[in-house]
Order: sequence, then structure tokens, then C-alpha cells
Amino acid sequence: MNRRTLLAGLALLSTAAILAGLPGGLTAQGKVVKIGLSLPLTGADADGADAILKGAQMAIAEVNAKGGAAGYKLEGVVFDSATPAAGQYDPAQAATNYKKFIADALVVAAVGPNMSGEGKAISPILSEADMATITPSSTNPDITDPKFQSQYRPKGKAVYFRTVTTDAFQGPNMANYLVHVQKIKSVYVLDDGGAFGVGIADSFQKRAGELGVTVLGRDRLDPKEADYKTILTKIKGVNPDALYYGGVMQAAAKLAPQSFEVMPKAIKAGSDGVYDLSWPKQSGNEAVEGWFCSQASPELVTSPKLEAWVTKFRKDMKREPTNYAITSYNAVLVIASAIERTAAAGKPINRSTVRDSIQATKLDSVQGPIAFDANGDILTRTVSIYQWRDGEIKYVAVAPEK
Amino acid sequence: MTALVQRLGARAGLHRWRALPVSRRRRILTPVLLGIGLAFPLLSGNSGNVDAAANAFTYVLLALGLNIVVGFAGLLDLGYAAFFAIGAYGYGIAASGQLRPEWSSAWLPLAWLGQVSRLAVPGGPETVQFHFSFWPMLAVSAIICAIFGMLFGAPTLRLRGDYLAIVTLGFGEIVPVVARNWEGLTNGAQGLGGIHTPRLLGFDFGFSPYPYYFLGLGLVALAVVVSIRLQESRVGRAWMAIREDELAAGAMGVNHVHYKLLAFAMGAAVGGLAGTFYVAKLTTATPDMFTFPVSVMVLVMVVLGGVGSIRGVVLAALLIAFLQSVILQDLSEYVHVVGRLVGSDFLQHVELITSLELIFGLILVIMMIFRRQGLWPTARQVSALTRDQQAAAPGRGSAVRLSWARPAPAGAAGALLEIAGLRKSFGGVTAADDIAFTVRTGELVSVIGPNGSGKTTLFNLITGLIRPDAGSIRLEGHEIAGLPSHEIVARGVARTFQNIRLFNNLSVLENLLVGEHTRLEAGVLGAIFRPPRVRAEERRAFEGALEVLEVFGNRLLPRVDHPAYGLSYANRRRTEIARAIMTRPKLLLLDEPAAGMNPAETLELMDLIKALRGLGITVVLIEHKLDVVMDASDRIVVLDHGVKIAEGAPAHVRNDERVIEAYLGRRRRAA
Amino acid sequence: MSTLDVLLQQVVNGLALGMMYALLALGFTMVYGIIELINFSHFSVFMTGTFVGLGVLNLMGVTAVSKSLTGLALVGTLVALFAATMAATGLLGVRIERICLRPLRNVSGTAPMITTIGVAFILINIMLLYWGPQAQRFPQLLPNWRWNVGRAEITFKQVVLFVVGLVLMLALRHLVRSTTLGKAMRATAQDPDAARMMGIDVDRVVVLTFFLGSALAGAGSLFFGLYYGFTGYYIGYTTGLRAFTSAVLGGIGSITGAVLGGLFIGLTQSLGGQLVGVKWTDVIIFSILIIVMVFRPSGLLGSRAPQKA
Repeated sequence: MNRRTLLAGLALLSTAAILAGLPGGLTAQGKVVKIGLSLPLTGADADGADAILKGAQMAIAEVNAKGGAAGYKLEGVVFDSATPAAGQYDPAQAATNYKKFIADALVVAAVGPNMSGEGKAISPILSEADMATITPSSTNPDITDPKFQSQYRPKGKAVYFRTVTTDAFQGPNMANYLVHVQKIKSVYVLDDGGAFGVGIADSFQKRAGELGVTVLGRDRLDPKEADYKTILTKIKGVNPDALYYGGVMQAAAKLAPQSFEVMPKAIKAGSDGVYDLSWPKQSGNEAVEGWFCSQASPELVTSPKLEAWVTKFRKDMKREPTNYAITSYNAVLVIASAIERTAAAGKPINRSTVRDSIQATKLDSVQGPIAFDANGDILTRTVSIYQWRDGEIKYVAVAPEK
Repeated sequence: MTALVQRLGARAGLHRWRALPVSRRRRILTPVLLGIGLAFPLLSGNSGNVDAAANAFTYVLLALGLNIVVGFAGLLDLGYAAFFAIGAYGYGIAASGQLRPEWSSAWLPLAWLGQVSRLAVPGGPETVQFHFSFWPMLAVSAIICAIFGMLFGAPTLRLRGDYLAIVTLGFGEIVPVVARNWEGLTNGAQGLGGIHTPRLLGFDFGFSPYPYYFLGLGLVALAVVVSIRLQESRVGRAWMAIREDELAAGAMGVNHVHYKLLAFAMGAAVGGLAGTFYVAKLTTATPDMFTFPVSVMVLVMVVLGGVGSIRGVVLAALLIAFLQSVILQDLSEYVHVVGRLVGSDFLQHVELITSLELIFGLILVIMMIFRRQGLWPTARQVSALTRDQQAAAPGRGSAVRLSWARPAPAGAAGALLEIAGLRKSFGGVTAADDIAFTVRTGELVSVIGPNGSGKTTLFNLITGLIRPDAGSIRLEGHEIAGLPSHEIVARGVARTFQNIRLFNNLSVLENLLVGEHTRLEAGVLGAIFRPPRVRAEERRAFEGALEVLEVFGNRLLPRVDHPAYGLSYANRRRTEIARAIMTRPKLLLLDEPAAGMNPAETLELMDLIKALRGLGITVVLIEHKLDVVMDASDRIVVLDHGVKIAEGAPAHVRNDERVIEAYLGRRRRAA
Repeated sequence: MSTLDVLLQQVVNGLALGMMYALLALGFTMVYGIIELINFSHFSVFMTGTFVGLGVLNLMGVTAVSKSLTGLALVGTLVALFAATMAATGLLGVRIERICLRPLRNVSGTAPMITTIGVAFILINIMLLYWGPQAQRFPQLLPNWRWNVGRAEITFKQVVLFVVGLVLMLALRHLVRSTTLGKAMRATAQDPDAARMMGIDVDRVVVLTFFLGSALAGAGSLFFGLYYGFTGYYIGYTTGLRAFTSAVLGGIGSITGAVLGGLFIGLTQSLGGQLVGVKWTDVIIFSILIIVMVFRPSGLLGSRAPQKA
């Protein structure tokens, strides 16, 4: 490789990159507002992020088809928040994405992030810029907890809104369900070492203890490890009524068949991390059979009210929806409604006014009424319980709140 | 295409650029690059790009740090992300609400300095809120990481290249696991949040990318300057000597333990700076940010740019950072557009960013096979030779003048080297069996014997490359058996090797300057700051090297900046001898110096050796060319199968029955 | 279950796990013995083998959800599977040697090892791009018989794994010690130049060793798939590092050492997990690696210390 050719090529490439990065590249003309969409579209969480993206895109298309929000056309600005070095979402990349949103004057709000790890990095940035993001799936409670306000929203106003409820409820409500309905007396808790998994396992474990359940132990699965027989044998040795797994699919894919082999009779439960339609494909119907899982939202996908929505989604987006696709869809509708209300009140459309309007939202949606508390959390705290049967997720009930 | 670019380059005067000395080039480039760096944020209207650039500076810092370890010292560190993590968490823990010890008056001094504050907790005792200031924490992080660098490097000191790499990989794996599991200290997998951003004179950096950009630029500039200064100093030469040939480096007085630990420490310190900077900007830190793929990415940057090349790693790091954050994403968009135009489903949906690790793998393989020196290796200026210089024929009787050499006062020759009862076995083979002899100051003693008789082993024992099983070796009355080789050099023993061990990628001059190592004093601080004392020292070393080079007449002087691998065999031999002379030895051990030389060159060499002896350097010579040996030596020692079978004046040894038998076999009796 | 029963079960688990590491370590240590190179790509070849096996089975119409096989059909399928996969991984190893390692044969330093890291990354990402990040189910061909030893349980799969591992170890030892090829391999390992001068075709010996070692990796990969019932693009990494530690612990270049080392690491993993907790397994095993490297680099049975040449 000739050095000079390489330098010339490099110069060309850098010029192209810089030019591509300059603003005003490919945007349309006319009254437009942009909605930022930063999601981990590649890597381990790609499938879930894709569903969320498509939910948002469907909402944007619908709003635009009706003439836009207060006459403004909505445009989605999509950035990937995953990096290959991380193999999944990367908080630094998410931060960079959100800074790009903030640098773009036309972006008035964002939908996302998908993962709470990203949320922790971007929330302070949003607070600084007084811009709101509505997350359809980030459930770590710390980000909106007033205890940590100085960390995540130093300016005080809520900027991290959610159309899902948090793990402050998802974990404990599953514990409520297992104790009151399944009548368990002892449990062993596992997490997958990830930010989400550890958090929800912690909240589950705390609540289980409060309910008088004996927590026989707590350990960690390495998602990259193939063999969980060691820990499962240890767990079998103490013979718990139930096994709770806080975490996502990478470890669950192996946990299911191996726990089926070692302790087929125990009650097994997870969080929304194992509400993943690909689980039977990865682990086999038999292994997945009987596992409980949860969602930090009311049951939506099979609800008859949503049949039309689900059919439309399947047709337009050519994939199966998930609950979070729906919460993402609603997030866009919240933003559109906020824009309309801001315009109706005679205020200019910018991120601050839109944030204020989002805060004041009272919207009736396909997931029920949407309104936010002073921290940005959704008021309805429904957690739904599901169970895997015959390779499919079946809705069981709303989780008991106590 | 190449020809066109070449012509363009010629028109642009590239050859004139190449002709400038490196220092001039630097003086021109530095303001230009600084100008571009300072102006970039203004030129790019997009603060998102400035933010990406600030992140890129983190990668550049990491690459520069790894370059010190891998590039300068040749130690392959596969777990470099560990230092990135320690720097990040170090500052993160000190500048966030993670640790909340109970308040006591012991914290008052720190509160007074504004580093902590007293926090009232409803329903509990008061706690301490940490918010250590970023700027001193930069230094503290660097120091903590330097300590960990030495800790992680210490187990690897005696290990070979690939094993060293695996041990560093191990540490690189342990650190994120500890971060994930030690929840009290690091908040585990959830990571630290709310890390304070830097404040300067009341101004808080906040979330705007611009202050971070300039801070990053400053840190990169600092790292570049430190790297350049280190590279061109005694420390850098010691590192490069270890990288090229650790054994020979030790034989020239370089303490490999000291310098390897130093390399690990310096590299780790830079990694710590990068970690602190990165996390202050991001305000969070999670264990996932410091895993093996990050270490590999930094390695890819160093390999791509050129191992050891400062400009190379900077450019490669920038290239890869931009590739990841900007170029591949934008390229994907273009590819999608193309896909829509041609109706290809695959093209419309392919995300090039997912193939980044594939690209990393390809870079590693392609670079190692086709261009090991990297895309932009260190600029090396090699002076062209005139025709006369190229065709120089061997000469004799050139004057040998060394300003420091003191001829031995006549008649006062005492024993310089005393060997007694020396024994060494390798498994079942006895290489040295009860060897004893003495070398007096100012003598020229030759050690001869058939192949495998233990001559080189003897040299290795004397110079500390191997330890004897039994016996004593005394230099000027002091016992040196079992000392490490670099200490023996400091006491005045130098050697050359049978199969020539030069520092191949260093120039002739640099090879010689390594010889000067024990006589110089500059350490890391001296290398970086270059006080007048150090500059004077380097100048003296340079002059000393020129003096020694002149001993070889027109051989080496014209080639003073040529890399050693390009020299002819004879010149390599001369360079090695010159390098050994640079240590100002009292005792010079030459292992088959005339091997491979033609008769004229051999005579020239023997003249030189005799002249050195005349200057007061005691010489012990291993040689097979017996005519030369007989002519030049004062005394000869003969070894066979590890045993000394004869010793004495040449005439005496020449006729010794046992010697003849050893070389030629038993004389056949006439029938 | 009583504590003793649990410990006994963990010992059984650990031995089976250890044999898995041993299978991987065997191929790795063989290659190291010949060319003194830490071949990072060995473990990615292992990972690739699982996918090749998956592809072969899919071609034969056997998937995770298809009808289970018995008797002659089962044996036939297994034979075809092993033959095809081992040949494929063997050839992959040979190609890697030819393209990436032979040009660097005389280059000292760490360039060859860095190249193998690059190859590993390439293989991992090709599999990732082609098969996606999710786990792929591997058909459970071996029957699920299990027996009780006291209150502990041993499965048929574990027995097969163990037996095969031992058989392979003995076969390899015989090969290396008693056959001409083995002698040629040992000669090349000690001094390639001298071997060449004795008429040994060093290149061919290296190629054969790579083929053998990579085919072993392929066999190991199939056992992995059959034993765990899944595969993923990342399995080479963790399992690989544990196998590497096994090889080093047992003595790099030693065949018996690889097996002993593997068993030791497997037992450490299971007993360590039981007594300390699985989240510290990585730290424990890496600490063992570091300690061995520092204090006894030649390992338990090895003769060649990985120190300076």
C-alpha cells in the first residue's frame, strides 16, 4: 500500500466525513420539528430497540398523515447508541447522540433511551438543555428518584419522562405476585451483572424479604459463560421454592435449558428482560415452559382494544410488536399533543415550552390514561404478569401492588 | 494512480520536506497542527462534531499511553483498559456521591480546602460528600495508575512476549469484574452517576463540548511532548534497547527490571489521565466501558499507526475514533441511499458499524503480515553516502584515541580478573568444569578451544548472563559471580556476542548511545524537562560516541544514522565493538570478533584490538583464527569440554600435546 | 440434598466441565508445542466449529425441533457430523496457518500472536454477522439418560464427554511418542532447523499439526454443542481463556498436562462457585493463571518454561 495513496484517500474520507457532519445536510423544508430517537439499534439489544423504533415511526407517520402537530410536520432523527466496543448500548455514544440532538435547533424532544445505563448518562445533559425525553422502556428508578436529583437533573425540572413504570414497582410487584398467588416461601435470586438486571434483582429481593420470604442466596450469572450447572447445583442444594432471574436474554438463553435440567419443578420468574419473543427459539419451548415474566405496563399486545393497532403495526412495520413498541408509539403521541397544546396556548414551540407541556400531559391512549408525576414517572403503576406456555407468552394478571 | 500522486508530491516539494532535519520539520508542523486543533471547533459549526472530537482525544491519549508500553518498550499489554478503568473510577469515586463515610473532624482539613463537604442526612448521622477537584485528581489518578502499572507489570518481568501479554490480559479481565462485584466502592453494575464536571476559576465545564475539547487537546499535546521527549532520551533508548534485544541491553548496562516497570508505570499513568478526562466529561462510569474489546481497540490503533511511532498512533487513533462515531454511520446512510436506488434489500439495511470489530480484526492481520511498521512509522532520516564512502576499503594503522582511556602504568599490572573453581552444568552437560585462571591489567588474553568447549559459556558466566553452580569470579578483588549483568557492566566489564546482538531498528549512533547508558544519569523527569544538566550530559554522550566512531575511520561515521539492520556484516561487527567500548570498560570480552571477516578486515580488527590494549583496556578474546591469536595475544587459555587444558604464552601453547590433540585428534602413530 | 451430596455433584459437574476445557486445551497445546505460538484463533476455530456442526446438521435435516434419532440413524448422523465438522475445522486451521502465520514464521516478538488475535476477531464477527447475536439451539442428539451415584446425578452426556476426552488424550500421546509423525513433531518442536536438515519437511509437519489441533477443536466444539444444547458467537472467549489456563497450568506442550490442567480448572470452577460464589470465578481462575505464570511457568508437567529464549 503506497503511503501517499493512503494519505490522499484519508484526506478524501475525512473531508467527506466533515461535510456529512455539517448541519442542514438532508433536511426538508417547511414547518418541521424533529424528534430525537437514540436507540441501541445494533448489538445485543437490537431487536427490542428495533421494535421501539418502529413504534415511534408508526406514530410519526400517523401524526403527519393528519397534517402534523399544530401544523408542524414531525421528523425523526435516528442515531444508534450501541458501539461495537461495548457490543450493546454505550452510554458515551448515547451522550454524544443527545448532544447532537441538542445542537440541532429543530429537535424539540426525544423518545428514548432504551436502556437505563444510557439514561444515567443523558439525563443531566437534558436537564442542562431543558429538553425532555420520553423513554418507553428504561425502568431503573434512580434516574427519576428525587433522592438523586442533584445527579440526574441538577436544574430541578423533570426531563426524563416515562411511558413505562419503573423497577421500583416491577421487581416488588412480581414478588407480591409470587408470594400472594404462587405462595412461595423461599427464593434464590440471580442477576446477570448488568445495570438493569442487578437493579431489578435488588428491588425484587428487598420486597421478598419484606414479605417474609426466605432469600436463600444471591449470585451472578456471567452472560458469556456457557455452564451454569455450578450455581444451579448449589441452588438445588438449598431447595428454594422459586428462582428469580433479573437480567436480559443473553444469560437467560442458557439459564432456561440448564435450570430445566437441574431443577424442573421449581417456580421460575424473571422480569421484562425475559419477555422476549425469541426466547423459545433460543432455548426451546420445553425449557421456557412455566417461566413467569413481567412488563412495566398494562397488558397491551393481546388486549382487544389494541387488535386494530397490532394488525396495523404488523402490516406496516413487517414485524411483531412488543409492549414497548406501544409505549414508544404513545411517547410520540405525547410529544405531538404537547406541541399542539403549546401552540394553542400561544407560546413559541421550543424545547422548554414543549417540556412544560409534556409535564402537564393528560392523554388518553391505547395503554390507558397517561399523566406524569413531578419526577417524570407515569402515574399509572401497573405491572403485568405473564407466563410462558407452549412457547408463547400468555397474559396472567395485573401484579398485586402490595 | 500512484504515479500521479507521486508526481503531485514531487511538485509539492515533498522531497524538499524530507530533506529538512526533523527538528526543523517539527518547528514548522507544531504551530500548524496547533492552529488546526484550536480552530477546528470554530470551523465546524456543529457542536456534535466537537463533542465527538473531544471523545476522540480520549482514544488518542489511550493510544499514546499504550504506545509507551508496546511501542517503546516492546511489552505487549492486552489489558490496557484496566488503567483506563482505574483512572476513571478513581476520579469517579472521589467526585461523586458514591462513598458517604460518617462525618468526623478528621475531614475538616479537606473541607477547608473545598474538596469535601459536610452533608446533613435526615434521620441519620452527618456524612461526607466527596467532590474532589478535577485538576489535582488528574495528577492523583496518574500516580495511582502508575502504581497499579507497576503492580500488574511486576509478575511479567521474566516472561516472554506472548506470556506477558496473557498475564496483562488476565489483569485486564480482573479489573472490570472487581468493579462489577465490589458494589460498596463502585456501585457495581449500575455504575457511578453524577460525577462532577471540572471547574476552572469558578467556571463549570458542564455539558458543553467546547471546554472539554480544549482540555483534551491540551492533554494530547502534553502526552505527545512527553512521548517525544522520552523517546529521544536515555530512558527511551533504554526502552528501545530492551525491546530490540533484552539480553544485549542487559549486557550494555540497562536494568531491565527498572525500565520495564517504568514503562508500565508511564503507560498506565497516561491511561489514567484518559480515564479521568473521559469520565469527567461523561459524568458516569460503568464496568462495561472497560472490557477486553476496548483494550483491543487501543491495540488496533497502535498497530495501525505504527508501533512506536508517535505521529502514527495519533493519526490512527483519530481515524478509528472518527470511523466509529462519524464515518461508518454516515457511510451506512450513503449505502442505504444507494440500496434504495438499486433496490437491494441488503444494502438498504446493512449497518456498517456492526462490522467495525471485523474491520479491527482485518487491520490487525493485514498490518502484521504486510506492513508491520504501521502506516506512519517514525520519520527516520538516513544520510546518503558518497561514492567514496561506499567504496571505502579496509585500512590499517588508523589512530586510536580515546580521551578517557588510561594506559596501565608499566610494571604495576595487578590481577584484574580472577576466576577460581568455576563450575556450570546444563542438565547432564558440564560446560565449565573447575576453571581457574587470572587476567592481569593491560593483558590481551585469548581463549581458544574446539567448538563446544565452553568458551561462550565462560563469557556468559563472567558477564552475569548465567549464574555459576560453584566457584568465584573476582573483578579487581570484588566478587561478581551471580550479579545481574547490568551491574557487572557498571563495574567495567563489556562484551560482544558471537552472533552479533545489535539493536536492529536503532541507528548506529543510538546503538552506541545505549552503551553510554551506565554513564548517564537522566531519569524520567530529566528526560521530560531536559534541564541544562541533562542537555550537557547528552551532548557529552554524543561527542563520546563520535570519538569512538572515529576509531573505525570512515566505516561507521558516514553511517551514523543508518539503522543497524541495514549494515554490512563487518560494519555490524564494528558497531557492536564500538558499542561495547562506549561503556568505558576496564575489561573487554570479545566473542569471535573476526568471524566472517576477510583477511584484510581481520588484520584491521587486530590492529584495533592491540591499540585498545595499548590504551589500557584489558582484552579477553575468543577466536578461532589461530594465526591471529598467536600473533596478538600475551597469553592463551585453552579449553576443551569445559576443562582448561593449557595456559601460557603462545609459543608454549602452540606445541602443547594436549592442545594439538584437542584440535586435531590423536596423532596417528606411524605403522 | 445434604452438603456432601451437593459437593459430590459439584465434583461430577467440575470433572465434566474440566474435560470440555481439556479437549480445547489439547489442540491448543499441540500447536503451541510445535511452533511456540499462543494461537488465539484456536478458540475462535472452536466456536466456528459449533456453527459448522449446526450447518451440517441443518443440511441433514436435523434441527433442534425435529424428531429425535435412535440406533443406526443416530450413529450414522453422529459419524457424519464429526467427520464433516472436524475436516472443516481442520482445514480452517490449515488455511489460517498458511495465510496468516507462515509469512511470520521467522518474525520474532509478538507479531504472530497479534495476528492470531486479529483472526479471532474476524471469525467471531463473521459468525456474529451471519448468525446474529442470539443463541442458536444445537440439536440434542445424545440421549438424556442419567444415573444416580449416591444422591448425585451423572448424565450419559457427561460420561461420553469424559470417555472421549481420555481416549483422545491416550491416542494423542501414542501418536506423539510412538509414531514417526510424532517423532517428527517433537523434533520440529525442539529445533526446526536441525529437523529440516535431518530431512523432515517442517512445513508439512506444521500443517499436519495444525490440522490435527484444529480438528480436535472441531471435535470439542461438537461436544460443546451436544452437551450444552446451544452455541453463540462469544463462546470461544470465556471457554477459550479457561482452556488456555488449563494448558498453562498443566504445562504447555504437554498432552497429559492439558487434561490434568483442564480437570483442575473445571473442579476449581465448580467447587469455587459452590463455596465462594460464581461471580468470583473469573477472578479466581485468572489469579491461578497469573500465579502459575509467575512462580512455575513450566506448569505442573511441562518441561519448557515460557521464558526468554
